[in-house]
Amino acid sequence: MRTSSLACCGALVSSLLMAGALPAYAQLKHYDSDTPSFWKHPPADWFLGDETQAQKGLAPIAQPATPADPADIENNLKKIKLPPGFKIELYASGMPEARQMAWGDDGTLFVGSFGATNVYAVKDEDGKRTVKTILKGLNMPTGVAFENGSLYVVAIDKLLRYDKAEANLDKMPEPVVVYDDMPPYTSHGWKYLADDHKGAFYIPFGPPFNIGIPPTSNAQIRRVNYTNGLAELVAEGVRNSVGGDVDPRSGDYWFTENARDWLSDDTPSDKLNHLAKFGEHFGYPYCHQGDIPDPKFAMGHKCDEFTPPAVKLGAHVAPLGMKFYTGMMFPPEYTDNILIAEHGSWNRHNVQGGRIERVITDPDGKNARQEVFADGWITGPREYWGRPDDIIQMKDGSILVSDDFAGAVYRISYSGS
Amino acid sequence: MTGLCLLAAGQAHAAGDVAAGKEKAEICTPCHGEQTVPDTANVPALAGQNNNYLQWQLIYFREGRRKNEVMSPLAQDLTDKDVRNLGAYFASLPRPPAPTKDLADASLIETGKKAIAGHGCAACHTDTFEGAGAAPAITRQHHDYLIKALTDYRENARPSTGVGAMNDAAASLTDSDIKAIAAYLETYK
Repeated sequence: MRTSSLACCGALVSSLLMAGALPAYAQLKHYDSDTPSFWKHPPADWFLGDETQAQKGLAPIAQPATPADPADIENNLKKIKLPPGFKIELYASGMPEARQMAWGDDGTLFVGSFGATNVYAVKDEDGKRTVKTILKGLNMPTGVAFENGSLYVVAIDKLLRYDKAEANLDKMPEPVVVYDDMPPYTSHGWKYLADDHKGAFYIPFGPPFNIGIPPTSNAQIRRVNYTNGLAELVAEGVRNSVGGDVDPRSGDYWFTENARDWLSDDTPSDKLNHLAKFGEHFGYPYCHQGDIPDPKFAMGHKCDEFTPPAVKLGAHVAPLGMKFYTGMMFPPEYTDNILIAEHGSWNRHNVQGGRIERVITDPDGKNARQEVFADGWITGPREYWGRPDDIIQMKDGSILVSDDFAGAVYRISYSGS
Repeated sequence: MTGLCLLAAGQAHAAGDVAAGKEKAEICTPCHGEQTVPDTANVPALAGQNNNYLQWQLIYFREGRRKNEVMSPLAQDLTDKDVRNLGAYFASLPRPPAPTKDLADASLIETGKKAIAGHGCAACHTDTFEGAGAAPAITRQHHDYLIKALTDYRENARPSTGVGAMNDAAASLTDSDIKAIAAYLETYK
């Protein structure tokens, strides 16, 4: 599943370049992706590729080495703007690079992490919360889920199951490998687990570069049965997706997607997609945001061949974790709305995103509109104090927001006053 | 535009305390030196190194993700605050002086220069290799240290920061590439 010959495309691009017929912007970097070693170790500049002189130096925003102190977080939370009647507070801190969250049956909050290799467990006893690192040494365990008493963790190329996890937080059992037909590279290889409520997870597979012809194993979403490890390919042409949820009204999967880099500060838009039927192709690498053919990789494809986004979320906002709101605490107009954690830009001259977006849409994607729900994590043109990356609902209808930059989780509640 | 890189560290965290870091650093300078590149092979100069990079390395030593018989035990008792203070202190020092004579032969240095350009190192380490944020300054280090660092990254013996950058960057380097890159960086002025 991992190999594919790209000789056709390489040759095509080379001959076009030799002909000298392309405009300057189309004479972009070409990767020799015809070798197995490329797919094992993507090129060092996999996240670059074709930046212009004006974009040079827009390196990834450096992650702080230590999680933020609770006192600093409390202070910074005063900067967050919310609609009237809503409140944000610190829920738990001291979790380096906190990513996706999942609830255990007995009220344990499990939290994955990005580069920290850890999975955390937050216990709440009468309002007093303790954070425990329950797993260490995993390879980017960004995605977590909890089903039938077991904790599931996805770590790049392995879906792991830890049975009776909640009763064994001090000494987690050896994991069972549920599914491992996944490529081993880490570049865009970090993942998210979205429960389809029918015994499977939707799992995204990002390509190991900014833009290129993906091999058969990636730029797609698979639906993986977590009991028997069997997988189906349900969506193609998907770049880097790290968030999604099933619409409680229709059962359809909706997911966020980070668009290609280095076209410009304002294009293309990142996306919210609606998978109305299995097998849809969302355009990557041929077409971006539903209406911009790729300057190099369109190769004659037209955008109308592909499924357009349900909502254009904006360029470089980096939408990650998302949830449909089904609680009773927020005002009734929030029911079935989508709340999206936007991690924010890394290579835009003035970063944007770094907030929580609210999308109101019909189940079929009609009448979709968006507005900012929570804002205030950006502190300068290229500075953050925190970066939201996932959302989960609490039993009482409030929501939790994880932040990998500050290493913390926040709670947003509504009282109406 | 390279200046933008310099903004790239985590600002809104409490800044480290330079004076407290200096006190804590007394145990470091016998090996790492204060203002010069250490003569001891495999020991990096820390003066003027990027704060965020320094903090990450201390965290890696403390968490057992980067291993060294001297550094691993020393890092065990560091608090997050100590780590921030030590990063702030070493970052506040001037960088060691540029080398005054060429230490390697010219053709090796030229080979290293080409290898560096071919691997896109400047994208994170900047055109002058001063680095930014988690990407360290990579000039003014002993070539033995540079060789060890690149080899360790290649062998996954020390972790990358962020998006897997250095382990992937070094994966395709040959021993002779690494030797040439080290010669180029050590003598870079």
